[in-house]
Amino acid sequence: METDSPLENRFNYIMGLVNIVAIFCIVWLLWYIFMHADGIFRLYTPMYGFSLVVVFFSAILIIKDIFEFYPFAEKTPPDQSVLIRGILLTITAVVLMLFLYYVVFWKFLGEFGITYFSPYSIIAAGSQGAEIWNAREISSRAILYFFAAFLWITITWSAGFGRWPWQKNDRSVQAWSRLFTILFFVVIAYTVLFHASVCHLFYPAQVNAGVEPWWISFADTGSANFSLGLLLCALFWAVSSDLLWEGYPFKLLAKKDGGNFLRGLFVFIVTTILGIILLWILLKGMIYFWDEPFMGGQYTDGPDFRFLHAAEISGFLILSAFILKNYFNNFPNTNSIWLNAIVRTLLAIVGGALVYLFYYSNATVFFLGKVPGIAQPDDTPLVWTILFLSIIAVHCDFFEGWPLKKDRGTGLND
Amino acid sequence: MKRRAFLKSLAATGVAASLTGSSVLARQAEAKKKKVDFGEVKSVKIDVLSETSWFDNDIFKKDIVDYGGAMTNQYTIPWKWDNAGGYMALITVTELDGKERKILLDTGWNNDWVDYIYEMNNIPAMLKSGEIEFMILSHWHLDHFWGIESTLKHKPDITIYGPATHYPEDMALLKGAHLTAKDKEGKEHHICKNDVPHTGKLVECNPDGEKGEGIYQVMPGVAVRNFDVPILLRVRGENVLYFNVKDKGTVTVTGCCHPGILSLFSYARKNFEGYHPYGCYGGLHITLFETWDPKFDDIIKGVKAFKIEKLACNHCTGWIWAEKAAAAGVPVVKGTDKYKSYKRTSTVATGSNAFLTNGDFVVF
Repeated sequence: METDSPLENRFNYIMGLVNIVAIFCIVWLLWYIFMHADGIFRLYTPMYGFSLVVVFFSAILIIKDIFEFYPFAEKTPPDQSVLIRGILLTITAVVLMLFLYYVVFWKFLGEFGITYFSPYSIIAAGSQGAEIWNAREISSRAILYFFAAFLWITITWSAGFGRWPWQKNDRSVQAWSRLFTILFFVVIAYTVLFHASVCHLFYPAQVNAGVEPWWISFADTGSANFSLGLLLCALFWAVSSDLLWEGYPFKLLAKKDGGNFLRGLFVFIVTTILGIILLWILLKGMIYFWDEPFMGGQYTDGPDFRFLHAAEISGFLILSAFILKNYFNNFPNTNSIWLNAIVRTLLAIVGGALVYLFYYSNATVFFLGKVPGIAQPDDTPLVWTILFLSIIAVHCDFFEGWPLKKDRGTGLND
Repeated sequence: MKRRAFLKSLAATGVAASLTGSSVLARQAEAKKKKVDFGEVKSVKIDVLSETSWFDNDIFKKDIVDYGGAMTNQYTIPWKWDNAGGYMALITVTELDGKERKILLDTGWNNDWVDYIYEMNNIPAMLKSGEIEFMILSHWHLDHFWGIESTLKHKPDITIYGPATHYPEDMALLKGAHLTAKDKEGKEHHICKNDVPHTGKLVECNPDGEKGEGIYQVMPGVAVRNFDVPILLRVRGENVLYFNVKDKGTVTVTGCCHPGILSLFSYARKNFEGYHPYGCYGGLHITLFETWDPKFDDIIKGVKAFKIEKLACNHCTGWIWAEKAAAAGVPVVKGTDKYKSYKRTSTVATGSNAFLTNGDFVVF
């Protein structure tokens, strides 16, 4: 999970730019095919498309971070085709996404356990507004929340615990043990942070299944956007440590490269605290721009939107960090990790601001088919951002940078 | 190369800072502005001509979902014509001297339905005689605008206050056009028509207002405010009516209230002289499809906190929100059963009378 080479003076930044432009175009094409209102599948309802994208990104992380490509080789052997491996891994991720979404959640959990995970179970239960579109939006929202918790635990786990405590076991033991351990914590995180809000997506609220969202009194909203904002803000720090700071400062807690219990614990605690601080800063920033929110306010006045927007901004920052790490060789690469970390973080923030300006510019009317303006209730940039992150992960981890990366293992087009 | 990348980053930061900075400056300038006094009226009466924009929620939703979801261009969906109704209201303003003046809010969707409603309420005669002085178009959504022919055939030169954020299709329909949309098999379907081009004045409203005060004062005590917000089905911007009712306070009248009812009162609090929250009428765009979300509970709590004294709602408010709000102690104005005598009724209407529906009225 940590950056692989300390200094690469021969890195070709022009090729990095070509790479990211190519990836942008692929994301644009995929958006048009799957999400755009004039496209083919038109999945951006928005929750249905949103949840599918999040599950796809989760499937990628299962393959790359939890299974560490098991049963495939961790890296493509020199005598084998990276193209074939990339295609195989991508197909595996898509199949896994479809399996998780439609078999595990819709057919298994939704039909044999929790009604709201399957639209057909919601319709069968016959509650208010129980028709396919609304039911699918509710189940999509629940699935999305589950995998938001999954992303948080998985990324933070990888940045902290790593292979601990199974580092001496073989790859299959590591993979399966890590998967079930992460799932254990995901279930707890989902239950505490999201389940209550999902129970209140019905009329009347399912109060015997879920408590009233406990954050209402201080967040001024019962929306689970509160939890989403908190998790994404915490994730930014986990990603920053992992990608931009080369594992520091948590790396200092491990005797050698890799995770251990202490490091994992500190990553969870510190990134959560920093996440709360970042959330607070972003909310203060929004007050500066849009004035105080108030309970029941809509668009930019709504506390629920402010939390969602904090998540969206964090998403932009994370995307920017991914781009800097994967396409600009984590510039700069001086001998001082502290200088590197500070400059990279600043660059990621600047990059995130540029992505923000792009998303809310009129350019996205053309690129994404969105209506100009901010806080549209049926639009969240997180969908496009996570799709972008997914394609970057597919390109850099599954295809190892192919075809623009000429020399595998060092840097783009060294 | 590194130096160049660094300079580029600095330049980009400058662009971002200047853009965001200008936004803050604009807000700070707005905050320093003197509060607007747009006069007073004695009372306002709203007659609900039609709040039934479509009759079957499920069919309407299916049309949206089948053709791309909430971001789809409304002109590309072959809507089920039989399901179309429309939203219109007649506003009667009593000025301080007792003189009555009338305004039409919106013009519905399905011309058959709009004509039926207009005849029932003597609207054609009011339009022809000029008794209805002008029309406020809240926004360019199909159920508020596509029935324009039914109004123009009685008064082609009527003055219309509409959001400036219109699309070419909106202008084509206003100026006279027959528009169609293709279904999935490629077959063209009629979606709206207008054979009577608009010859009157179109006042294109924007958030700056006519004198930079953020409003268009259309009568003493009556102001139109444009909120530039993105809305589903590729529509943008909504015009909202504010009334300052003597000895009572601020009343808002909306088509769909996409900006949010509390945001409207918040705007009034910050910008209008003598603000006192009193009442509202219109669609409030909350549980549009009769579904729930915890943030709708937030709105109930917020409405109570804002101390709105008289809340008359319908259309996209959602029956379940109105019922739940009434149960929570919000002063919801109850409707009657008159709507049941109309030739068609909405499938979501309940016996609770939580909506002020077709044929009802409210006085502020």
